[in-house]
Order: sequence, then structure tokens, then C-alpha cells
Amino acid sequence: MKSDYDVIVIGAGPAGSIAARTTAQAGLATLLLEKRQEIGSPVRCGEAVGLETLVKFIQPDPKWISAEIDAFSLSNPQGDCLVVPPEEQTLMLERKIFDRELARLAAEAGAEVIVKARATGLIKKGPGIEGVRLNVQGQPREAHAKIVIGADGTESQSPRWAGLKSIPQLKDYYTAAQYLMTNIDVNPRICQYHIGWSLAPGGYCWVFPKGDKKANVGLVMWVDPKEKKTAIDYLNEFVAARFPDRSILSQIVGGIPVTNVLPEMAADGYMAVGDAAHQSDPLTAGGIGPSMCGGSLAGQVAVEAIKAGDVSAKFLKQYERMWDAQWGKSYRRLYRIRHALLKVPEDKLSHIIRQASLLDAQTLSLKDIALIVMKSYPQLMLEVIPYFLGQ
Amino acid sequence: MIDVAEAYVSVDYDHCSYCGACVAVCPPDCITLHDATLMIDTAACTLCRRCLPACPTGALSIVEADA
Ligand SMILES: Cc1cc2nc3c(=O)[nH]c(=O)nc-3n(C[C@H](O)[C@H](O)[C@H](O)COP(=O)(O)OP(=O)(O)OC[C@H]3O[C@@H](n4cnc5c(N)ncnc54)[C@H](O)[C@@H]3O)c2cc1C
Ligand code: SF4
Ligand code: SF4
Repeated sequence: MKSDYDVIVIGAGPAGSIAARTTAQAGLATLLLEKRQEIGSPVRCGEAVGLETLVKFIQPDPKWISAEIDAFSLSNPQGDCLVVPPEEQTLMLERKIFDRELARLAAEAGAEVIVKARATGLIKKGPGIEGVRLNVQGQPREAHAKIVIGADGTESQSPRWAGLKSIPQLKDYYTAAQYLMTNIDVNPRICQYHIGWSLAPGGYCWVFPKGDKKANVGLVMWVDPKEKKTAIDYLNEFVAARFPDRSILSQIVGGIPVTNVLPEMAADGYMAVGDAAHQSDPLTAGGIGPSMCGGSLAGQVAVEAIKAGDVSAKFLKQYERMWDAQWGKSYRRLYRIRHALLKVPEDKLSHIIRQASLLDAQTLSLKDIALIVMKSYPQLMLEVIPYFLGQ
Repeated sequence: MIDVAEAYVSVDYDHCSYCGACVAVCPPDCITLHDATLMIDTAACTLCRRCLPACPTGALSIVEADA
């Protein structure tokens, strides 16, 4: 490790590795820090990703793909099930291998990657940032840089160190649990979503197949101070009712911000990317694709800023505008849709899924679904329509 | 009302998975995740309780020192 860099990236998840690869490729001296001893492990993810976003950053490789998905199913607690084709082709990843491959590509582009290196704070000078305070294998160290990119995931503290407001409202944070299960009979090409507040209050359950009778079975739910049961409690109930013969290979838990990005993602000498910037989809919480995109945009802006000799917040805010141009409109819509859905009682939601499941899936259109919603729970349509027509 | 000096957030390490969900929602930023330890700066903790329901495993609770 040197003491001076152009760019230091905190966290080697998808957001950080893509950011580091982008700046290293442009010839900037880049340091990529990871506090874990093994990049990609433990996996805190359902591992489903859309191909369209993925291929912008990496060519699919069988060594980190566990399944290809042809369809999504949407079920209510009674078992009515609607099967729809995905909006884009979807893959199931082996994130342990995938995350490591992304970090390898950053290193190949010239970035220095170190593990067991935890950022503990930012070195500040006036309003700006001069570098990062570290703990490397137990030893306190410092490294200097013109720009710091915070890619430290859901547990990120770097945005707060940089003065950004990053504490989500509880209703905009998902608490999550997942088992990697084996010996279960599921269609290996369908990602299942199960919706019902009694299954996962404010969220949903999923069964994402990984081939070989394995699947990620998990749930996200909202954070509610009045709730008596934890995410693990709800997951155990879901699993016991549906997969009596399963075996569990691993258990993971976590949290995902679903706020629709931080109000500010850039400060003087600093940009936040990925989950640190709350870039996960504010409806489904899918964050692999968006975080890679955030990492790439911040990396590009870092390159321009250093070229221009201006790392002020004013210059770096280009990154916020670039993000907004790509994702802003759909994220505002998805955020509103989730909040509109949260007001729908479970029996109405179940009824909507049941009615839709009775129609021919091959010809099912958005209009058909709109009609069903209109009949079952018109308030939902009224809340959602403006966001389809307007913004 | 719980007196700040007489209560603190306690971590049940049998249940904690070091996932960081509690870190994300803590307003005074007083929780830090190390390799396999969760450090809570009790002097900075306001006992707001936000971290409790955010924890997916129920590993956090408020303990009253006198109880
Ligand atoms: C249960 C669950 C299921 C999910 N399922 C899906 C899914 O199916 N599809 C999908 O697209 N998304 C899913 N997500 C969301 C997705 O996992 C995240 O959005 C994505 O990983 C974000 O990438 P990131 O690079 O921002 O952060 P991360 O992947 O979390 O990487 C952050 C990295 O920073 C490191 N770090 C943190 N602090 C420091 C520090 N101080 N110093 C150094 N390093 C640090 C961490 O160790 C970590 O390696 C799921 C999330 C959860 C919790
Ligand atoms: S009670 Fe509030 S202040 Fe204390 S650790 Fe939990 S979230 Fe932070
Ligand atoms: S949210 Fe719970 S499981 Fe996760 S780090 Fe905090 S105490 Fe541990």
C-alpha cells in the first residue's frame, strides 16, 4: 500500500469494484479497500440480476451463473399463482465468484486491491477530504487521495463521515433473511415471488432457483417498531409451510435501503455509490445492477474531476445528475408504487392476484391488470396513475 | 421513561450475524461493525430503539442496568 492515490474506493462489492475499475482504466492511481478477509463472502443477496444492465459491465460467464430464468411467478398466500415473462432476461449469480471476478477485473485494470482493510474515517481538510483512515490487519494506517468513493454497502458510514444525510426512515428500510436450501422441488427456471402481509409485512418472500434442487428462499419486510416477529421468524414460518423436506445450507440476514437514493450523493472530494447511496430499486430492493451503474458513473465523474483539477461538490454533483437521467424517473415511480401498495389490505391484494391468475398468461397485458385493480381496489389505480402519466 | 445512564443496548452474539442493518438506521451513528464484533458507543446512544426492529434476527435488546 502506498500513501498517496488519486482515488480510494471503500468496499469491494459490485459498486466499488466497478468504480475502481473505471478510474484505474483511465490511468488514475486507485486503491480498493475491503474490510472482509474474502471478497464476496458471506453472500448477502438473493442473486437474481437482469441481463440488460449486467452486460454493460461484464460478459456473462458460466462460472458465476447458477441458473437462467424464463419467467416470474406472483403468488398470494392462498396459492393462486400468476406466471409472467420477465421484463428482461434474468440470471441467477454465484455472487461469491461474481464479486471476486469484478474485483479481479479492477486489479487487472491497475487498481490496488487490499482485503482486511477497514476504513475507519475520512481525513478532512477544510470542507474537503484528503484521504481515508484505515485499519489494515489490525494496524491503524492512513492513505491520501483526491477523491474518495464510498461503496461500503448497507452498513456504510462513509456518507455520514462526508456530511451526507444517509439515515433512512424505517418505512424505507427492508430487514431481510434468506436460506440457501437444498432438496426442494421447484421449477428451475422460474423466480417465485410470494406476496401477502401475513407472509412478509410490507415486503415479500421469494424462491429463486439455483439449479440442482437448490434455491435461495428469503424475504424482505419493512421495519416496524410494533412488530413482534423478526425477519427470521417470518422466514421460518414460510419455509415450514412450503418445504417440509428441505435442508438448509446457509443462513444470511441483512438490510436494504429502499428510499429512492440519498437526497445528496456527492460532497467535496466524495461520492457515495451502490447501497451506500441507497441505489437499490425502491420497490423490489434489487441492487446488483443499479450499484454497478452507480459505481461506473461515479468512476467516470472522478476521472473528469481529476482531469479538470476540480474535486468540489459542485463538480462532483454531475454524478447525481447522470444518475437521475438514467434512473430518476423510474425510481420515483417505483417508490410511489411501493407506498401505494402498502396501503392495500391483504385480502384485496390476494384478490387481484387471484383474478389475474385466471386470465391467459400469454396474452395478459398491463391493461388487463389495470382493469382488475380498478375493480378490486380503485384507490390503488388512482394513486399510481399520475406516476405513469406524469413524471 | 428510561434513564439513559441506567439502560443500554445489548447484543446477543448467539444471534448476531454482523449484517449491519442496525448500523444503517442508527441516527447518532454509534454502532460500528468490526470483523466479528458489534461495537455500540453507549455514551452516544440515545436509546431511540430504531435498531431493535431493524435487526433481522432479534439480536438487540435494551437492558436496564438495575433490572
Ligand atoms: C437478503 C438480500 C437479498 C438480496 N437479493 C438481491 C437480488 O436478488 N438481486 C439484486 O439485484 N439485489 C439483491 N439484494 C441487494 C444487493 O445485494 C445489494 O444492493 C448489492 O450487494 C449492493 O452492492 P454494493 O456494492 O453497494 O454493496 P455490497 O455488496 O454490500 O458491498 C459493500 C462492501 O463494502 C465493504 N465495507 C463496508 N464497510 C467497509 C469499511 N468501513 N471499510 C472497507 N470495506 C467496507 C463490505 O464488507 C462489502 O464487501 C439483496 C440484499 C439482501 C440483503
Ligand atoms: S437505540 Fe438508537 S441510538 Fe442507540 S444504538 Fe440503537 S439506533 Fe443507535
Ligand atoms: S442488525 Fe442484528 S444481526 Fe445485523 S449486525 Fe445488527 S445486531 Fe447483528
